[in-house]
Order: sequence, then C-alpha cells, then structure tokens
Amino acid sequence: MDATPLIRLADVSKVYHLEAGDFTALSHITLDIMEGEFVALMGPSGSGKSTMMNQLGILDVPTTGEISISGKNVARMTNLERTHMRRDVIGYVFQKFYLIPLLSAFENVEYPLILKYKKRDNTGKAAAVLKSVGFDDEMSAHRPNQLSGGQQQRVAIARALVNDPKILLCDEPTGNLDRKTGYQIMDILCGLHNEGKTVIIVTHDPKIAEYAHRTITLEDGRIAES
Amino acid sequence: MRDIFFDLSVRSVRLNFLRSILASIGIVIGVIAISSMGMLGTNMQLQVKDQLSAGANTIVITPDVVRMGPPGFSQSGSSTSSSSSSSVITKAQLSKIRLAAGANASAIIPVYSTNTEFTLGSVNGRGTVYGIDPDYITRFLTIENGTNIVGANDALVGSSIAENFELKLGSRVKVGSTTSGSRAEVRVVGILEERGMAADSVSTDNAIIVSEDWYTNQYGGKNEYPQINVIVKNIDTITEVETAIDTRLNANEKTPVIRIRDASSMLSNISSTLGTMTTFILAIGAISLLVAATSIFNVMMMSVNERVQEIGILLSIGTETGEIRRMFLYEAFILGIIGAIVGGIGSLVIGYSVVSAMIGTTDFFFLPESIAYVPIGMIVGIIVCIISGLYPAWHASNMDPIDALRSE
Repeated sequence: MDATPLIRLADVSKVYHLEAGDFTALSHITLDIMEGEFVALMGPSGSGKSTMMNQLGILDVPTTGEISISGKNVARMTNLERTHMRRDVIGYVFQKFYLIPLLSAFENVEYPLILKYKKRDNTGKAAAVLKSVGFDDEMSAHRPNQLSGGQQQRVAIARALVNDPKILLCDEPTGNLDRKTGYQIMDILCGLHNEGKTVIIVTHDPKIAEYAHRTITLEDGRIAES
Repeated sequence: MRDIFFDLSVRSVRLNFLRSILASIGIVIGVIAISSMGMLGTNMQLQVKDQLSAGANTIVITPDVVRMGPPGFSQSGSSTSSSSSSSVITKAQLSKIRLAAGANASAIIPVYSTNTEFTLGSVNGRGTVYGIDPDYITRFLTIENGTNIVGANDALVGSSIAENFELKLGSRVKVGSTTSGSRAEVRVVGILEERGMAADSVSTDNAIIVSEDWYTNQYGGKNEYPQINVIVKNIDTITEVETAIDTRLNANEKTPVIRIRDASSMLSNISSTLGTMTTFILAIGAISLLVAATSIFNVMMMSVNERVQEIGILLSIGTETGEIRRMFLYEAFILGIIGAIVGGIGSLVIGYSVVSAMIGTTDFFFLPESIAYVPIGMIVGIIVCIISGLYPAWHASNMDPIDALRSE
C-alpha cells in the first residue's frame, strides 16, 4: 500500500462565527486515512461529525489547518478544482438519499457521468453500476418516489460509484432505513471496500460501526478515541 | 457542440410543464403587445404619409412678388398678364432652372393658371384654368375616366367640377367671363381623379386643364410662366436641387427673383409627430413586456427556490457553478423562445386585426418596416427573458452546497 495517506488532516479547526459568539465545531484534528481503509466516524450529536464529513467531502474548507486529498492541499485549490475533485474522486451517500426527484433512477445515476463527460451516457456504465446494486432496466426507469428507502439508497450508492471515485463518503447511510435493509446496504459497502474503495461512514449505531476496521470517535470537536 | 445542459434544461421545462407554460404566457402577451403596437404605429405613419405625399417630390417655383392671394390669383385673365414683368418666370429663367436641376429632375413642368368663370348649358360657376403641356399632364395627374388632351380644344376637368356640373365625356364648357361677348369653348375628353389639397399647388378638383397652346392663345403670356413645377427623381435629393436652383437664379440679385418651396418640411413635421406617437404607443407595449419580465423573474426565482435542495445535491456531486448558472439561463431562454414563437404568431393575427380595425387598411401591413416589428418583438421578448433569468441563475449558482442540502 502507498505510504502517503489518501486523506490527511493536519491540525484542522473549523470555527463558525455566530451572533452568540464563535463556535468551534472542530478543534485541532490531526488524522491520516490510508487508501483502502474502512473508517467509521462516531460520536454524539453536535460532536462535529457532520462538520468533519463536510471537510472530508471538501464541501467546506477549514478555518485553520490543512487538508490534503491525494496529496493535494484543498485550501490551495480553486473552486473549480474542488468541484472536479468532488465529481471525480469522492462519492457521496447521504442519510436522506438526496436523489433528484424529477429524474428516474437511471437518470440520477447518469448525471455524474454527464457532468464529467458533458454528454449522455452511451457506454452502458450507468446501467452496469445500477445492475451491481441489484437494479434491472425496468426498476431503473422509476422515479425516486416510486422506490422504497432501501432501493433509493442503492440508487444513491450507484450514483456515488458511477465516476469510479477512490473515496466513498457515507453520512448515516442506514439512518433512514430499517435494520434489515440497513444491513443489506452495509453489505454492499463492505463489498465495495473489498474491491479497494476507501470507505468512510458516519454513524450513531455501534452495530453499523462494527463493519468498519477503524473507528474514530469525536467529542466536542476533538478526537476522543481512534 | 450541443450543450448537454441545454438538454437538461429542456427536461426541466418539460417536467415543470404547467408552470413553464404559465410563465411563457406573460412573454406571449408582451411580444404581442410590443409587436402589435409597433405595427399599429407604423401602419398609421405609412398610411398618413401615403395620403400626404402626392406632390411631395415636387419643387414649386414661383416669381418672388408680393401677391394679393394664393398662386393663381395674381393674374386674372389676359388684361393683367403684362402688368409686371417680375410677376412671371421668364424663358431665360426656365433654362437656368433646367440647367440647375440637371439629371436630378424627372420633369420640369411650366404651369399656367388663372381664375375664371365657366358655363355649362345655362349653369355658371367659378374655378381655375390650368394650362399644361399634355405630355406632362400624366406625369403627376391621374385621368380617372377618358383620355388625355389631343385636339386643340380638348380639356380635362377636375372631379368636383365634373360632379357639380354633371359633366360627361364630350360635354362642352364655355370658359371666360360671363359678361364677355365671345367666349371660348372646350370639349371634355377626360375626368381627373380626386386630388384634394395638393402639395404641388396644382389643385385640380375645381379646375379645368387645357393645353399650353390653348391657354396662351386665350390669355397670352406665352413663355411667361406664373409657376414651374420640378419633379425630382429621388425625394432625398430635393434639398440639393433646391439649393442648386436658388444659387443659379437668386445668387446675383440683391433681392430674390423666385420663391422655391416644397412639401417636404410639412411632411417631415407630420412624420416626426407620428414618430413620437409611435414611440408612445410602443412604450405602452413595453410596459406589458416589463410586467412579463417581472413574471418570468418571479417564476425563475420560484424555480430556483423550489429546487434549493436539488441545487445542493448538484453542487455536492460536482456540478460546476457555471453549469448551474447555464442550466437556469437556458431555462429562461427556453421560456423566452416558447413565448416568442407563440407571441410572434399571435402578433401576426392580432396585429393584422388591430391594424385593419383601427387604420382601415392593411395595404402597408406586410411592408418590411411594419412586419419587422414581429421579429423585433420576438427578440426583445427573448432578451427580456434572459435578463430576468440572470439574477435567479446567479443566485442558484452561488448557494452554499451545505446550506442548500440542509434546506427542506
């Protein structure tokens, strides 16, 4: 395995300036995540999990400290470069699925391909990825509101995977699902980890965290346990 | 290369079909208003110009003397024709006018005229007698019924005189003072079309037109013209020709010997008044387009606000801000195109109806200056749509993805 970490956080702090005063969501976090790891991020509400997720997903930049992904300092990248990194290097899976309601399952999965190649998918990639999460052509034609929660999360995973990202960021992926469906989703994520993806998952649920090989616990914006 | 984001916008418009159509209706109305109003104004202008422009290409040259009335009254019959040598244009002056006008003139027409009395049968009346070379008559007068002057005693009569005296082709008219013993007689060979108030000072409605020879035989004054009409080939050169004539004939005199005038200044006054009215009417149309712009803006903002979370998703999975902006601008553009096409067709129909109802004629409707308001209205409609979409598109693309995702 490559010795340089895929994700490196060096003394990262995130401070929100609120009217009531400054709120420190993350405080001096230093952390390396190597390629191919399966990491669970745990902690009570308000411990900074979501902020951490946004930092790892480069939806946000730290107030102080440095984040590097694939050796690139996020703070030094332009907005466009960050956008392209989100598109090509990171796949997102959200608790609320966040599929685009007007588009069919297939079109939702096709979307990142369109963003990357600026044309409709004619390679069959979107269909292939959907098939890998158990969707056939007929199911792929359905809109999100015609699908169950578990099915929607499968589509969301397919969408996250379609541009073949190195990192899969999952924010409470089973939070809106029943236990059984949740385990099925976790099985898919485990399979992806076995295929070499770096999987980072935020969860409340210790049972879900057990799937991971490494658990990081946050408390009041600091790493309590790693 | 075809932009995939255009396709995505088409898809968005199609998926929000009802809302999109409602937004487009505003633009449809705006385009129809601006096109129809513009066409109405232009058709009105063209119609009025057409009515006034008979003789507008004519320069009227008269001797520069103080007269006791309008042209024609200066010489009442042969008795006064020799009273003043300066009250006529001489043959030498006519040659100078010919030289000055040169190739710009399509005709230089000496016009003799005087006021006199007529008698048809036992009915007497008053009117003008014009003496004009028959070759020139048809250059600026229209014979409605009959033929041009051929024989020595042939005459044309104006429409009012023909009506009032119930003149027919072949009627004979006695010309000259009713107290005079020997009165000349002419035979009506043609009746002129109604002319109204003519800009070239040849008002034929209540007049008899005879040949130059008949006139000079009757009244004398051969080669002493009370009026010369110069018809220019191109109305745009009229001032140029006037200046040339003025320089040649008036330059060396302390006092000017001839007066030169034309109807162009009157016409340009009327045109500019009508132009102001057209602008005013267009402004009313523009207000409706402004209302349409507000409604498009509103719909685009709604479209953005309804889709905040979607925009958050798009931004987080790696859509460039420029692409988001483009999607919303395309959406506004598509609404504009739909509105403009429907509005364009609508303005043809409604514009035609309005013009036909209010102007009374659609003769000018398909002329370029009128019909041009359809594409102009359409383009303005599309531009208004795009401008209305600018802020919503910018607003959408500048959202913070995290906040946008969190919104419900």
